[in-house]
Amino acid sequence: MSVFIDRNTRVLVQGITGSEGSFWTKHMRGIGTQVVAGVTPGKEGQEVEGIPVYHTVRRALREHEADAAMLFVPPRFTLDAVFEALDSGIRKIVTIADGIPLQEAVQIRRAALSSGARVIGGNTSGVITPGKAMMGMFPYWIERVYKPGTIGVMTRSGSLTNEITAMIVRGGFGVSTLVGVGGDAVPGTRFAEMLPDFQADPDTEAVVIIGELGGTMEEEVAEAMEGGVFTKPLVAFLAGRTAPEGKRMGHAGAIVSGGKGTVKSKIAALERAGAYVADRPSRIGELLRTALGRGTV
Amino acid sequence: MKLFEYQAKEQFIKAGIPIPEGQVASTVEEAVQGAERIGSPVVVKAQLLQGGRGKAGLIRKANTLEEVRKAAEGIFQAGKGVRKVLVEQAVPFKRELYLSITLEPANAKALVMASSEGGVEIEQVAAEQPEKILQYTVDLSSGILPFHSRSIAYDLGLEGEGSKRFAAVLEGLWKVFRTCDAELAEINPLFLTDGQALIAGDGKLSIDDNSLFRHPEFEPGPDYFESPIAYEAYKEGIPYLQFDGDISLMCAGAGLTTTVYDLIHYEGGTVANYLEFGGPNYRKGLRAMELCLANNPKVVLIVSFGTIARADVMAQGIVEAIQKLNPSCPIVACIRGTGEEEAQKILKDAGIEPLFDTEEAVRIAVRYTREFSDAPATQPAGDPSPSRGGSL
Repeated sequence: MSVFIDRNTRVLVQGITGSEGSFWTKHMRGIGTQVVAGVTPGKEGQEVEGIPVYHTVRRALREHEADAAMLFVPPRFTLDAVFEALDSGIRKIVTIADGIPLQEAVQIRRAALSSGARVIGGNTSGVITPGKAMMGMFPYWIERVYKPGTIGVMTRSGSLTNEITAMIVRGGFGVSTLVGVGGDAVPGTRFAEMLPDFQADPDTEAVVIIGELGGTMEEEVAEAMEGGVFTKPLVAFLAGRTAPEGKRMGHAGAIVSGGKGTVKSKIAALERAGAYVADRPSRIGELLRTALGRGTV
Repeated sequence: MKLFEYQAKEQFIKAGIPIPEGQVASTVEEAVQGAERIGSPVVVKAQLLQGGRGKAGLIRKANTLEEVRKAAEGIFQAGKGVRKVLVEQAVPFKRELYLSITLEPANAKALVMASSEGGVEIEQVAAEQPEKILQYTVDLSSGILPFHSRSIAYDLGLEGEGSKRFAAVLEGLWKVFRTCDAELAEINPLFLTDGQALIAGDGKLSIDDNSLFRHPEFEPGPDYFESPIAYEAYKEGIPYLQFDGDISLMCAGAGLTTTVYDLIHYEGGTVANYLEFGGPNYRKGLRAMELCLANNPKVVLIVSFGTIARADVMAQGIVEAIQKLNPSCPIVACIRGTGEEEAQKILKDAGIEPLFDTEEAVRIAVRYTREFSDAPATQPAGDPSPSRGGSL
């Protein structure tokens, strides 16, 4: 088993003919993902990596069955593409778009909540179950980062995820499923909403969350732990411990203002809930060993 | 992107929200002329994006034209980089209210907040009297409905004409929030006068950066940025923050750059600037290096672990930048991710020692700031491979 995606997930790729779409479609297949069809308006009849392309999602679904939609669509067309997938009954969507207008991101999440769908992203690399399948953009062939294993990972970040995941692997572990919820202020899916899936996944022994300053997603994880929704060991790394108030450090969601969203308050909440918090990336492996009761070596 | 108060109020007028009679002035003379037209007393307000203008003495009341002159002179000369002041009629008010609209990410709705305790920072009210803050979540598709306005107005103690006028202000603010693609629209204080009029005393409007492509009217100029370098970076589409320490960060990814920022502080170092050249910017090595060097840092620290941002392309860009710009400070490079083997070869061939561990790279960078505070022209003795541009 795994979280969100496995070898049985049939994926439709919207925006398949673009340079990113075609490049990463090839690699999604390379790891073992079932890509059943692609969509680009005006390009029906073409093929990408032997995958047939259709004008619209509805036209693709007349010929194929799909469980999930992977969007390689520019940010300003993402609202439209997400609603098109939802309209056709698709309930698992990943969008990598970096720069979705904020109020449209709110509408996307609202639509997902109303229809019981899960939209992952934007501003994410996507979701990967190493050794099995992925939706998104991961150099899965770099073994010291994407080694299969038993640690679930959730992240708001991209490059930092590679950094932390490499530390998980260096610590003697590997990754069950990695979910990039994305760096936007309003992600389609929040950390805590994925926790029940990791809890239910027999392949996941523990979860690492990679958070940062701003927002309340890390506090929600602490609440889920305290509420008993998630009972497996959890290790957190949070960027922005020394960030000054009022400066937006990169990600749209990453700002401390009015004393809210500080890493300090997040750490306090997580530790209160029984999580282990690493102060630097190199301590992740050691904390995982402690959390799983395997000593600190 | 934050807008200046006068710009927020331009949007308020368009949406039918009453504001005090006022005039924007770029010189002391213009301020005096404005006050003459408006009639004293007036308030002279620095147009700055930072909060806390009142406490900093950058909002001054003036009863005569002579006082206006003095106030404007004082504000322009306060050394805060004030380029414009807003001269406004001083509104005699009975009460100060608070009203704002923002977004609530978890519920995926807008959040309307109102309070009878206006005129102070809402965070302070939230900390001291949380029961005085009224909150309503509003669906973006339905928008503000009459019941929202009614409910808030009654709870604020507004009735009759005051309640009707409040509804107009709230609907106006909603219109501003939606049409400007704002992440925050705030009126604090919202004056209530003896005659039950409601007038926006201040205006805060922050536009969502991801929506700026729809709003060419808000194109920011240099005075929106904390430094000229920050403005240059903005024009390149490169995320940048200005600090005043020793180490110039040229990193990839918001989370990783922030982590490197933390690690430098753990080691006792300081940061000159935060610059991200990952994601869509990974081919801009030369421009990124130029911006970093403009800070005259003691070290440039490059850390990346890219997926789309190819390590080999980044390394090539850095080598080209070093050859072209010939920096006089050491360059510490830790470039990993897609294409990392090739990247290491490129760096080595150019005489730069490729590092593989973020924390090690940070320690070396911080050590350089201490050992070579006079920006040496060559690689320190005892270090086998020259890792600085100056030696190329």
